[in-house]
Amino acid sequence: MNISQEDAKASLSSVRNVMGQTHKALSSAYANPSLIMWGLLWIIAFTITHFYIAYAFYIFMAMAVAGGIGTAVIFRVFHSKAPVKETSSNKLSPRITALWIFLCIYIVIWLFLFAPFTGLQCNAFICTAVMFAYIVMGLWFNNRFMIVLGLAVTAGTLVGFYLLRNYYCLWMALVGGGAIFSTGLYIRLRWR
Amino acid sequence: MAQLDNIIHQPVRLQIMSSLISLDQNEQVNFTYLRKLLKLTDGNLGAHLTKLEEAGYIKIEKTFVARKPCTFIIATGKGRDAFEEHIAALKEIVDGSKTQIK
Repeated sequence: MNISQEDAKASLSSVRNVMGQTHKALSSAYANPSLIMWGLLWIIAFTITHFYIAYAFYIFMAMAVAGGIGTAVIFRVFHSKAPVKETSSNKLSPRITALWIFLCIYIVIWLFLFAPFTGLQCNAFICTAVMFAYIVMGLWFNNRFMIVLGLAVTAGTLVGFYLLRNYYCLWMALVGGGAIFSTGLYIRLRWR
Repeated sequence: MAQLDNIIHQPVRLQIMSSLISLDQNEQVNFTYLRKLLKLTDGNLGAHLTKLEEAGYIKIEKTFVARKPCTFIIATGKGRDAFEEHIAALKEIVDGSKTQIK
């Protein structure tokens, strides 16, 4: 039995569509709640810091703790509803958790090595390091949104650091937090 | 020359395999999620999954999640190979060479 070129083209097109839909739907299920939460936290923390710069350390510590707890809750809630699960042989979730734990440890080590530094330098360094981890995760999951987001926020951080020092925090709330929040919202609304 | 696969060639089964192949090799997908994604009925999806399972292209695992019965599906190595060969055959047809369904 032969099939025509048209039928073959239609079949290949159907395969591409379903693969794209599956990939988007799965990315949406996992990525959007945590991106929306972290985007909001960035917006809130940077905006408050602009007006109360003396409390920057406490504000960002509170953001990190709230974000860590929030991420853990999101993953716990979504894990039970997850449409996809891994077989026991090669679980990804512990490796992702390990990536972020190692990143936090290395950020602390690098900060000790590079001290003394200004608050602005410290903040820009942590923001770009976190965005580097977004890019790594994007490469890991073959998710180009994470890669583009990581690169865009890194570029935004550098612009704020070098060109808009007086408005750095407001800039980061808008560009950094806004970009993370918007990406989460876009995935939630468009990839369903 | 790559061969078309008669079992995978059926449109719904081609969609099912496309979705399963999109996942990593160690990932299983939930039956309900697959049904919603492909806009199929329980019976229709179940029948096609049985065909694919009989061919050894997928593995179906019934388990409990939060005390509720849940069915997960994973593409086997044989299924991934067959799918890749089928896609290669389709591409050959599009490129102009003749291919037969085995």
